[in-house]
Amino acid sequence: MSTITVENIAKRFGETQAVKNVSFEVHSGEIFGLLGPNGSGKTTSIRIILDIYQADSGKVSILGGPMTNEKLNHIGYLPEERGLYQDVQLERCLSYFASLKGLSEDQIKERLPRYLEKFDLADHAKKKAKELSKGMQQKGQLIAALIHDPEIIIIDEPFAALDPVNTQLVKKLLIEQRNAGKTIVMSTHQMNQVEQLCDRLVLIDHGRVLLQGKLTEIRERFRTNAMIIDALDPLPEQLDGVARIEKQNGSYCLTPQEGVSAQDLLSALVAQGIKMNTFEVAAPTLDEIFIQVVKEGSDRDE
Amino acid sequence: MNKSRQVARYEYLHHVGSKRFWLLLISIPLGFLFIFGLSMLISRFSFDTRPVGIVDQGSLIQLEPDNSKKSTFFNPQIHLYLYPDASSARAGAEKKEIQGFVMLPEDYVSTYQLTYWSNKQPNSDIQEAITSFISRNLMASENVDTAVLKRINEGGHISLHSLDRSQSSDGTGWHRIVVPVVIGLLNFTVVMSSGGYLLKALVEEKENRTIEIMLTSVPSREIMTGKIVGNLSVGLTQIAVWALLLIIAGLIFRNRLGFLADINLSGGYLAISIALAVLSFLFTAALMATIGAAMTSSEQAQSVTSLMVIPMMIPFYFFSVFLNHPNGIVARVLSFIPLSAPLALSLRMAFIKVSPWEIGLVFVVIIALTLFVFWLAGVVFKRGMLQYSKRISLKEIFSKETRNA
Repeated sequence: MSTITVENIAKRFGETQAVKNVSFEVHSGEIFGLLGPNGSGKTTSIRIILDIYQADSGKVSILGGPMTNEKLNHIGYLPEERGLYQDVQLERCLSYFASLKGLSEDQIKERLPRYLEKFDLADHAKKKAKELSKGMQQKGQLIAALIHDPEIIIIDEPFAALDPVNTQLVKKLLIEQRNAGKTIVMSTHQMNQVEQLCDRLVLIDHGRVLLQGKLTEIRERFRTNAMIIDALDPLPEQLDGVARIEKQNGSYCLTPQEGVSAQDLLSALVAQGIKMNTFEVAAPTLDEIFIQVVKEGSDRDE
Repeated sequence: MNKSRQVARYEYLHHVGSKRFWLLLISIPLGFLFIFGLSMLISRFSFDTRPVGIVDQGSLIQLEPDNSKKSTFFNPQIHLYLYPDASSARAGAEKKEIQGFVMLPEDYVSTYQLTYWSNKQPNSDIQEAITSFISRNLMASENVDTAVLKRINEGGHISLHSLDRSQSSDGTGWHRIVVPVVIGLLNFTVVMSSGGYLLKALVEEKENRTIEIMLTSVPSREIMTGKIVGNLSVGLTQIAVWALLLIIAGLIFRNRLGFLADINLSGGYLAISIALAVLSFLFTAALMATIGAAMTSSEQAQSVTSLMVIPMMIPFYFFSVFLNHPNGIVARVLSFIPLSAPLALSLRMAFIKVSPWEIGLVFVVIIALTLFVFWLAGVVFKRGMLQYSKRISLKEIFSKETRNA
């Protein structure tokens, strides 16, 4: 079931068309990647979804209809430009944000210590935000986004200031939330995190949608028939069934001749006495797909 | 559920719990007390309370000097001693028993010439004590009735009226400026401190990057309402504490500072002054909110708001204009400007009867201007608050995109 539906939204600021005919749907129980280069229109799209900005045209539906004050309590948001009140104790700041999301004092008293413990911030609860490291502040902001148990979680660069241990903690948490049926929209530049977490994604550039769909389908769509092999000895310049041989970081990327399948190529290599540790299909990384799609989009604009 | 209450509560407790608030709350009355006390001490210690001698060579003095009033710290008295001759008075002065003596010559009744012998200039209190004592004796010698004598000594009360009867004053009400000046000063302090808190709160939301979390939790109108109410309450707390201290001080010093007893506050006067002060605060608050949303740092905002002090202080600079021409063009124009109106109108009302239609018009104009600034604040708020690194320009404020944001 789609909890967020964005239909042809557009927004202009002066001469700049920030967003143009952007459409996508996000379902409950999935992590949805909102990707795009800097200034592509991601943040404007998020702000329109959250009703911070009014779209010039188009429509947004949240939890089955337009945004209402009540629905704000069901959304957890970690903005890109984020912060805490620097001169206020972490505990007090988070209590205030939680109260603004409709939690009662009793609920805050019950939940906040639990979240602080979970994020390893219990010992720092009485410290002012400015006394905390960037990573700690970010964890505090994640608590603010999650403490009211929202149905929709919108997070912008959630791993930006986190060390590997905390990155793992947040990833685990996001997966837990997804498994609990929550709708998660994640905007990030860290493609490896998108590959590990996102079920579907949309790629925006210059305010337009360039690509969207399931992650597995997108990778399949951009897949080539090239193979990567990790050979024990240097390869000869020519091999039967191989159209092109390229060296890549100590491995070889082999492009088979027309009509030669992966199975045929492996058999041919074995037959030619090539010893290897690995033989794998050269699926493009999301990074590569991202760069390729954005470049193609820019070329079309020119 | 309206969340402006939570926002107001947080703002109030945040500021009331800050060192800045307590410092301001305590330092202002302490500062006043210090200046008042210091001037009292200087005045008191420079006041010579030693008696003054009188040598009557013309046998005019029939009544004994009235030295029954005791000299106190707050109300020093000059007592008069009669001496039989100049040499005994001089001896008293040399022994410093008296600070000087006055000689009434035999021909005083025809010349009205007195000679005062002392090493110091006689101050006005000494001159008044001597002339009053001599007048009483002169009139006593002419058998003037005691009640008439008392009235002559007190002088007349002059009531002033303009020819068209539109203005009136009792002519002795100089003390009336005390109330408007106190209102003006309190209003200035509260507006600047509360407005300052509000401005700080808004700019901090930007500087701390918390505004986006706020906007996705609370509608912008409720954020604004909460912040204005919270910070107004901070200002009202200050004013309540200071007013309480003023009342306590007034009750303590009422008998010692004579003019305090003459202050008579009418309900209507107070109601109009307070209503104007509240409107002025709301206008300033909305203006501060607009500036806070448009600027990107506390420093930028501070430099713009310092300009707002000027209109608030103008009535103080033009004080003589208000005293001499309370219905003049300057005084009237300043009554219509929200920042100067609380002091300007209450000053005018202290001296003249301002017509009800003019008071009504002042309120209409100020309410209209306040509503306009609130609208402007609302327009700028959403757009400006999310513009972190660049301040919003006037052109942007009035652009279609901003109005639709």
